[in-house]
Amino acid sequence: MAPKAEAAQTLASQSDASQSSIDPLFHILKIFPYSIIRPPRLRLKLPSFTLPSPMTVFALVLLTYFMVVSGFVYDVIVEPPGIGSTQDPATGSVRPVVFLPGRVNGQYIIEGLSSGFMFVLGGMGFVLLDLALDKNRAKSVKVSYASAGISSIVIAYIMSMLFIRIKIPGYLR
Amino acid sequence: MVGKTESQNGAVKATAAPAMNLESDLFSNFSFKSFKLKTKQQELLLRVSILGLVYILAFITRLFSVLRYESMIHEFDPYFNYRTTLFLTEKGFYEFWNWFDSESWYPLGRIIGGTLYPGLMVTAAFIYWTLRFLRFAVHIREVCVLTAPFFASNTTVVAYFFGKEIWDSGAGLVAAAFIAICPGYISRSVAGSYDNEGVAIFALLLTFYLFVKAVNTGSLAWALASAFGYFYMVSAWGGYVFIINLIPLYVLVLLITGRYSMRLYVAYNCMYVLGMLLAMQIRFVGFQHVQSGEHMAAMGVFFLMQVFYFLDWVKYMLSDTKLFQAFLRITVTSAVAVGALALGVGTASGYISPWTGRFYSLLDPTYAKDNIPIIASVSEHQPTAWSSFMFDFHILLFLFPAGLYFCFKKLSDATIFIVMYGLTSMYFAGVMVRLILVATPAVCLISAIAVSATIKNLTSLLRTKSKTAVAGSSKGTGGSKASSKASFDQSQPFQKNGAIALLLGAFYLLSKYATHCTWVTSEAYSSPSIVLAARGAHGNRVIFDDYREAYFWLRQNTPPDAKVMSWWDYGYQITAMGNRTVIVDNNTWNNTHIATVGRAMSSYEDEAYEIMRSLDVDYVLVVFGGVTGYSSDDINKFLWMVRIGGGVFPVIKEPDYLVNGDYRVDKGAAPKMLNCLMYKLSYYRFGELVTEYGKPPGYDRARGVEIGNKDIKLEHLEEAFTTSNWIVRIYKVKPPNNRW
Repeated sequence: MAPKAEAAQTLASQSDASQSSIDPLFHILKIFPYSIIRPPRLRLKLPSFTLPSPMTVFALVLLTYFMVVSGFVYDVIVEPPGIGSTQDPATGSVRPVVFLPGRVNGQYIIEGLSSGFMFVLGGMGFVLLDLALDKNRAKSVKVSYASAGISSIVIAYIMSMLFIRIKIPGYLR
Repeated sequence: MVGKTESQNGAVKATAAPAMNLESDLFSNFSFKSFKLKTKQQELLLRVSILGLVYILAFITRLFSVLRYESMIHEFDPYFNYRTTLFLTEKGFYEFWNWFDSESWYPLGRIIGGTLYPGLMVTAAFIYWTLRFLRFAVHIREVCVLTAPFFASNTTVVAYFFGKEIWDSGAGLVAAAFIAICPGYISRSVAGSYDNEGVAIFALLLTFYLFVKAVNTGSLAWALASAFGYFYMVSAWGGYVFIINLIPLYVLVLLITGRYSMRLYVAYNCMYVLGMLLAMQIRFVGFQHVQSGEHMAAMGVFFLMQVFYFLDWVKYMLSDTKLFQAFLRITVTSAVAVGALALGVGTASGYISPWTGRFYSLLDPTYAKDNIPIIASVSEHQPTAWSSFMFDFHILLFLFPAGLYFCFKKLSDATIFIVMYGLTSMYFAGVMVRLILVATPAVCLISAIAVSATIKNLTSLLRTKSKTAVAGSSKGTGGSKASSKASFDQSQPFQKNGAIALLLGAFYLLSKYATHCTWVTSEAYSSPSIVLAARGAHGNRVIFDDYREAYFWLRQNTPPDAKVMSWWDYGYQITAMGNRTVIVDNNTWNNTHIATVGRAMSSYEDEAYEIMRSLDVDYVLVVFGGVTGYSSDDINKFLWMVRIGGGVFPVIKEPDYLVNGDYRVDKGAAPKMLNCLMYKLSYYRFGELVTEYGKPPGYDRARGVEIGNKDIKLEHLEEAFTTSNWIVRIYKVKPPNNRW
């Protein structure tokens, strides 16, 4: 939408522009102060604004999705520790606890990030599967995409199920 | 069944059409062949039956608590909605619209007609009157209990049409199926959860669907329909602010990506102007559309659209591009400057009010934690952890990014909308758990796109063999057929088997989704909250109906003008079931009044008695979970009473009640804690009770400690009623002593 200005205008076109311009501010500025002061000769280009390609935007969106789904806002507000710890009653040694037990809506930072990564991995599996079924590629590339996609989906699903089973002991019982 | 011959790939058998045309006798046509349907009709039958089954499924899966307990209203807020609906059906709409209620917020009262969203009550009353007109003698409570599942079923139908608009009918069907059982939606729309969201999500999806349809077709009729959908949404829920900000944001994105068109102009203008005028009919909303900062984005985009139209017209009139460029620059600069100036003047003069705390805390999540304890104390307003997402969405979390990919691959006006809706609603769902509900339709739709596109790819693989045989439709093969033919012939069986295996895998995933959703609905979201259940020692189910017992006692054993003081959580239930006046209730519109109650609860008995006398309190109600192990009782909420009270009356200081930062009720607790009114009322006579085998008397099962102060004497109150499991305790405030 923003108009692109020409680079390095010559004197001739400058005077052309000044004669035909309908911009009132330009005419005011021409009289004062630039009739007294000589404007310097610059080579300036207004930054042109091109829209990024859809896939670039998709990559950014995926990053944002990863952050939201990992519970980033929860981490910022509640400030949980990166990983929890519990003391072994028998030996007295301190053992790390990865998953915050007891409630559904609570997490430690690391568990949030790893679960978010699993979700994004699963999503990418579907994308790879779609790329594999696109006709205009070499066969070996298609096969590797398909196998990567399927393994991503399988791994992501199994890991997510494992995580939720650890977190909520009574899951599906 | 008059036949149109179709040239599809050979699945069409010639029907008995010619025979039927020749003979007109009904009986001789009644051969088995006449039941054979054409492909289009088969498809239609399939679609209609799937939608019908999904409709019934959405209704049935929400009935767990009705079958397990009884048909009753759940939670806290629905009781207020039920009471107002009862009033509406008894007294009529005019009385309802002008109702001033003196039974809550004593002595202030509450202007109910002007401070509620009437959509839900009017809808339920309308259904009730329709059924009554058809001579079905239903009670209004049954209608209220089943309103939310009914509207959930309607939402699935709207989701089907929306999916069809965005992608194709396959995606629509999958979206309808996903939304029918998605736990994120079920959590607020089970039978008995008679709350605004049950109707509001239907209105939200309907408004969005009508608007996208208007943008796609450019028709005035659809735009006006979306304005009426917006009006229904405004009347139903305060979350309409989401619509009035998302749609201008969407229009802005379309303008930036160069998709300005006459269709967009017609759709947005009609929807904004008519929608705004209609929204002002709701008293609670009033003039906010022109006065509140939250609605200014829509107005700004409205003026921007006019500027765009004007520039388009000038461009059409002018033939000189250079002149037009200069004119463009001037106009855009001056338009932005005038807009900013107007906004600045409006905000500075106070005409445009700033964003309210509730919505501002969505943009800046740390705001509520520091500044507004009432908002921060509600458990539904906490930010979301990953497990809540997983619980409410399951495999939709994988399909969401995949669906986004497909939408970005095939960008159109409609897919841009659903992407924006999905992203903004997911961000807000990350900020507040309760808003997962708003994100659910978007996530279901986008996931449906992913499922539909993937399954279409896989089934097109399955069909390639028959397609190369028949030179025909290019539904998914595309590309060069010659080279693909050669490679396909060799790897065809492998590809077909692979595709079948993948389809089975997809079916497995979707069935796991269905299992998960049903389990979550049954275990987590079907509890009425007012009736508690637990497992007994032998595995049998024990039901605690203490709340209703206490409210019914209040209704029957106290004078009709008695005033009850309790924490604000129980206000709606006390007025609806106990039929008595309360001091504060869930509306939480007056923070000072709530702080007064909080101060009374956290003071010593003498000071509390002064406050209670000034408020004319006759009875005090507390909830205590020490005997049953119920953890949502008033002692666990006590610190919030201290914080809210201390926020208004600095005489209440939170550190007084803590020991080294720990909140304790046992022997080592702070002395102010051991003698405050809440402690005394909760633990009165509890020191004599043995709650668990092997533990000393006075063992608090909810906190897991033995209480510190067992010998409690009450001077100004006396115990009136304690329910059978000690969950609700009611005390009577004694009149002041005689002078002698």
